[in-house]
Amino acid sequence: MRLVAAELVDSREILPGQWLQSFHAPALASGSRAGQFVHVRAGDWSGLILRRPFSFNTVDAATGIITIHFRTVGRGTDWFTRLRAGDTIDMLGPLGRPFEVDSRSRHLLLVAGGLGIAGVRMLADEAVRDGRQVVLLFGAANARDVYPSSLLPDEVEYVVATDDGSLGHHGFVTELVPAYEAWADQAFACGPGPMLRALATLAAGRRGRLGVARLGRKRGAGKVDPPGSPHARRKAFLQVSMEQNMGCAVGACLGCVVMSTGGTPQRVCREGPVFASEEIAWEAGW
Amino acid sequence: MKAKRRVVTSADRTTARSKRTPTVRRQKSAIVSGSPAATRAAPVTPPGSRRAGDGPGPGLGADASAVDLTVDLAPAHGGLRLANPILVASGTFGYGIEYGDVVDVARLGAICCKGTTLKPRIGNVPPRVTETPGGMLNSIGLQNPGVDAVVEKYAPLWQAWRTPVLVNVAGESIADYVEVVRRLDGVPGIAGIELNISCPNVGKGGIQFAIDADAAGAVTAAVRRATDLPLLVKLSPNVADVRPIARAIADAGADALTAVNTLSGIAVAVDRRRPLLGNVFGGVSGPAIKPIALRVVYEVCQVVDIPVVGIGGITSLDDVLDYLAVGAVAVQVGTAVFADPTLPARLVDELALAAAHAGHSSYRSFIGTALPRKPAAGSAKGVEYRP
Repeated sequence: MRLVAAELVDSREILPGQWLQSFHAPALASGSRAGQFVHVRAGDWSGLILRRPFSFNTVDAATGIITIHFRTVGRGTDWFTRLRAGDTIDMLGPLGRPFEVDSRSRHLLLVAGGLGIAGVRMLADEAVRDGRQVVLLFGAANARDVYPSSLLPDEVEYVVATDDGSLGHHGFVTELVPAYEAWADQAFACGPGPMLRALATLAAGRRGRLGVARLGRKRGAGKVDPPGSPHARRKAFLQVSMEQNMGCAVGACLGCVVMSTGGTPQRVCREGPVFASEEIAWEAGW
Repeated sequence: MKAKRRVVTSADRTTARSKRTPTVRRQKSAIVSGSPAATRAAPVTPPGSRRAGDGPGPGLGADASAVDLTVDLAPAHGGLRLANPILVASGTFGYGIEYGDVVDVARLGAICCKGTTLKPRIGNVPPRVTETPGGMLNSIGLQNPGVDAVVEKYAPLWQAWRTPVLVNVAGESIADYVEVVRRLDGVPGIAGIELNISCPNVGKGGIQFAIDADAAGAVTAAVRRATDLPLLVKLSPNVADVRPIARAIADAGADALTAVNTLSGIAVAVDRRRPLLGNVFGGVSGPAIKPIALRVVYEVCQVVDIPVVGIGGITSLDDVLDYLAVGAVAVQVGTAVFADPTLPARLVDELALAAAHAGHSSYRSFIGTALPRKPAAGSAKGVEYRP
């Protein structure tokens, strides 16, 4: 965790109301992993008190450039869009824990709903770099909001669903998942709460549907990893990147919690934002 | 009654500047660290010189590192000596370890840890925080692992720190408070207690301790009997008149007061169909509440003799000086830590620099300068001329 001054290099509105900004921040670009985030300070002239958390969208250690992708939802994000190249803003990061990819996983299924693409985008880069096959399922309200394929690595298979059927599959992105669940070794998702909940239900019933016999002894099958540990998460089929209103983003204020199946609130900023889907108590109403 | 000395001695602490300006203003005697009864001479700040760091002052050559920033928050009992008057507020700094190496905790005057209760609490349903104009609204619901876990897990760490850690204690009944404090008493690494009395008193129909002078006094007295640790009590601003409550707490034996806790407020969800926070009600903090908190400190400082720690919306040195001017001897930085974790340590440097520029040997010369002059004691003879 470092406090760094990041210089804006490029700012583009890639979709209506959605922006992609590149910052020069070498200290963040090296050593950050997919799923982690930065906590960015908006100008305090406007009475904006809290920082804003953004997932790393892409990270280039060679050039020291990181990008963030966000939608303008209020005064804070609106302020960011008015930054000019050369402006410097204050970033705290990298924060949170990353996606855990099992070294034996060959096929990764990424599921993103809307702006959730910002949470899993960097994982596609990492997976392609490591020689894994990646399918990205993307859901949006309509064709207007579909993430442009030109911004994705060529190696990624990109499947789109829209709620109104204006592009790709007509329906929710979760309806595409059963076609890939047998192929995938691991799945990673980021998006609206209902989408994640539906995916968690699918993931919980996956083994029963696929009928995979557990023959022999798998590596590490004997010992039980404590829930939430990197090992336990690596073994989980589905990992989700959660969202919650955030205060400090370092675990001090306990503002951004989600309820775990263990009955103790977990901090999205510290234990998360990535959780194994079975760690989250989806029905707790939190 | 206050110790009212008529004779103003020229204390040796004051520098050449105060000798050049013979006009003196009487200061509250109780706030003088180390020598509570001593009355000091302090130079009157010229009007319009609110920003003490501006421009070359008479003491430009003064060395900021030579400025005395120490403060004692419990001059009456035992003593709670801090290296500087900049504290971090409870709930914004966790247990002091969360910010890792981004913040050097050794630079802070003291740390108030997250609110601690007898039993572990899971806290309120999220969303728990949201931004409001010039501030934030939070309703964490006192999530904490319980006093035993805090003592076991964090106290050994704190013991190794030079920076004192005050444990913020919350409870639902007087017995709760007393039990928590008893378990904290004598634990190495715990420098003091800060009582959060803005909790509903379950035994008395859920009325907050902080809004009732009798209840506030009773819980303070009970805790005072249970421990010799320095005891701070945090006042709530959600009352019509804070002065009787402050007086009751001071009379019950508190070493210092913290003013203030958050103001009660709500926010509405984006879809306008329900309140935003899971708990509906939350506490407003940040620069938005600073005028209110300043008013409370101003009022409280005039009715109690114990030190008052100001808190509410401090984001810059000017805010610190404002709180000192209305009588606070120290300040806590809260919400601003979220935006800028390095702010408290920077304020320490800036305060020292401001004192040096103004020609003060101690930051204490800033304290109480905006308080009204106390009326002279009435003459026993009935008539008295003062030329």
